[in-house]
Amino acid sequence: MPSASSSTPKDEPKTLFSERPEWADVQALEQYEISNPLAPIFYSEEYKDATGYFRAIVKKGEMSERVMELTEFIIRHNPAHYTVWQYRYKTLLALQSPLEAEIKLMDELAVKFLKTYQVWHHRRLLLLLQRDSSNSFSAAAKELAFVAQSLKADEKNYHTWSHRQWVLSQFDHEDLCASELDFVDDMLNHDVRNNSAWHHRFFVVFQSGVREGEEDRARVVKRELTYTKQNISLAPNNPSAWNYLRGVLDYSKMPYAQLTSFVNLYAVPTDSDVIDIVDLDNPPPSKDAQLPCVAALEFLADIYEKRGKDDEEYGTTAAVEVYFPSFLHFLESNELILSKQVWKSLAHEHDTIRQKYWEYRIREALVNA
Amino acid sequence: MPQNSPHPLPPLARTAHAAHATRCLSGLPGSQTDIDASRVALVFYCLGSLDLLGLLDSKVPELDRQEWTEWLWEQQTRGPFGTGFKPGSFMTSRPDQEGSADESNYNCPHIIMTYTAMLSLAILRDDFSRLDRRGITSFLRSCQKDDGSFSTTPQSTDSDLRTVYCAFAISSMLNDWSGMDVGRAIAFIDSCRTYEGGYGQSPFCEAQGGTTYTAIASLYLAPQGNSNGEHLTAAQREQTIRWLVSNQQTSGGFRGRTAKEADACYCFWCGGALQILGEPDLVNRTSLANFMARCQFKYGGISKAPGENPDPYHTYLSLAALSMYPPANDAGSNPSWQFERLDPLLNARETTVRWIKEHIPSNPQVSQ
Repeated sequence: MPSASSSTPKDEPKTLFSERPEWADVQALEQYEISNPLAPIFYSEEYKDATGYFRAIVKKGEMSERVMELTEFIIRHNPAHYTVWQYRYKTLLALQSPLEAEIKLMDELAVKFLKTYQVWHHRRLLLLLQRDSSNSFSAAAKELAFVAQSLKADEKNYHTWSHRQWVLSQFDHEDLCASELDFVDDMLNHDVRNNSAWHHRFFVVFQSGVREGEEDRARVVKRELTYTKQNISLAPNNPSAWNYLRGVLDYSKMPYAQLTSFVNLYAVPTDSDVIDIVDLDNPPPSKDAQLPCVAALEFLADIYEKRGKDDEEYGTTAAVEVYFPSFLHFLESNELILSKQVWKSLAHEHDTIRQKYWEYRIREALVNA
Repeated sequence: MPQNSPHPLPPLARTAHAAHATRCLSGLPGSQTDIDASRVALVFYCLGSLDLLGLLDSKVPELDRQEWTEWLWEQQTRGPFGTGFKPGSFMTSRPDQEGSADESNYNCPHIIMTYTAMLSLAILRDDFSRLDRRGITSFLRSCQKDDGSFSTTPQSTDSDLRTVYCAFAISSMLNDWSGMDVGRAIAFIDSCRTYEGGYGQSPFCEAQGGTTYTAIASLYLAPQGNSNGEHLTAAQREQTIRWLVSNQQTSGGFRGRTAKEADACYCFWCGGALQILGEPDLVNRTSLANFMARCQFKYGGISKAPGENPDPYHTYLSLAALSMYPPANDAGSNPSWQFERLDPLLNARETTVRWIKEHIPSNPQVSQ
């Protein structure tokens, strides 16, 4: 197969294309600019040589085995050269070569150029070629295995995760998604602060269809809440887990207040006398946790604010009239007073970098009350 | 790291940052060959830095500026799919031989380069008499996909929120929306929103600062009847603000995703989105300037984080962030940190945006 076998290690000296007899029939075309160029790049000799032949090939419209070799050479020097990728893809189609060699080469290049858009785009094109074929499932499954492998090199790489989400959304096989939750579990067990993994979990659970055994959505939501609470208990100051918790509640339109007892455990300073009875619905913070937890305080203030609004709606502010008559002219409910206190503590003590934001929340709450 | 350095802010090394930009414009080493495919964008970051610093006229001789303008126009390309700008000349050879019919497809306009070339030409105060306006709208039309997104080039299939933003910015600069189906484009943007309140690069992707900026900016650039607030509910707006603000770190810098490290470019992407949403006061400016001060490279240029190497992308976006969020004067800062205001929607100095509005549309809005 041309591409895989023609790849040479970088340190091995390679003859210029202009010195190779099999290219003698082609006249290389020099890059041409009329004006004094802006930000010209001082290309290496071998890159200049190879791209001269590439321009000539494109001009001729030649699509042959040697084009595969030439484009691979250029890609190794400049993986962002999208025109070379486009032409390589067209050539691959024209030659009707088996895809295995190309996929093997891409497995090598994706890891090498993890942050280059074009590398991932080319993989997608190769996968789309297999989507409607009989081995569509095995192609996608192999791809997921490859992604899992390459995430080991860079666990938060955006391209790699996007690619995984793309594969799962393009290949509609129930079995493909079946083990996806286990995959996310592994990633989160390895690093519970990996937001990409939390995001992927949301996608898998709520946006990629209903898996077998998950038809009871209320149970799924409950499972997710329990899972998240347990993870927060292990690492309380983990914004990714708190955001996920909010995401699950928002998605299922459940009130934040439902988690009041849980959140309260994290919104108070560390207490060394904490009792050792573990309530599975409300797992307490680990012993060495830094408390109070900013995310818990924020969550609590949101609960109070919402209750304050509901009180208004149901006319229960009468209670305020009795107990806090002096506050009445501010039109505040007692719940709102509590949320204001929490926001103030965030602004001045626990999260001072966002002082302006917490003050803004206080102002907004008053306006909306 | 101390959150607010007790020391006064060191000066912003304006002249050194300008020199970094002019140095890159004069040439790049072979190790940067991968910039070739987005050279016009790099040119924009360099010219934009000089423009924000107010040093373009004094640091660059007029003859050079004329030559630069010519080079940019040389990148305007007409083809079967309309007109736009290409990244550079890497597919151009001497025009003395007949090529295959297919050849022009491989030297065609690119949507990100078209946006950055138009901004660059405005920075150079070109009169845009050579702009093929109708060609550009048909180019945009040939880039829009069924899902409402835009591909980088007409025949390619790689599309995401970055390219969607370019289509909105170009249409806005032209004051002509016939190049896109606005409703479908907005539906695509909506499909990229995540539970965190930010936007991912494509549907189902993780919320990210850069793509959140492009989403919000596009929604607010959209023409009357399709614009801003109409597409964000009050709750969505609050959630997005919350997420954007949560990305500022105690170092003063912004991160691009939850639980990642601060990076200077996200001071622009997150800060710009907050500016567009009308909540600029929520950014801690003093800390932001302290972070930027530490990202300055000894020999000019700004890097993504303290101790890293500078590049034109991070230099420009840092200066753009500072144009929106200069440190308050009472923080003991010196005048080197003050900038002319930036238009957060098109990402250029306000004077440059005024030039755009007066010279790019075939029916200029400003004179009316």
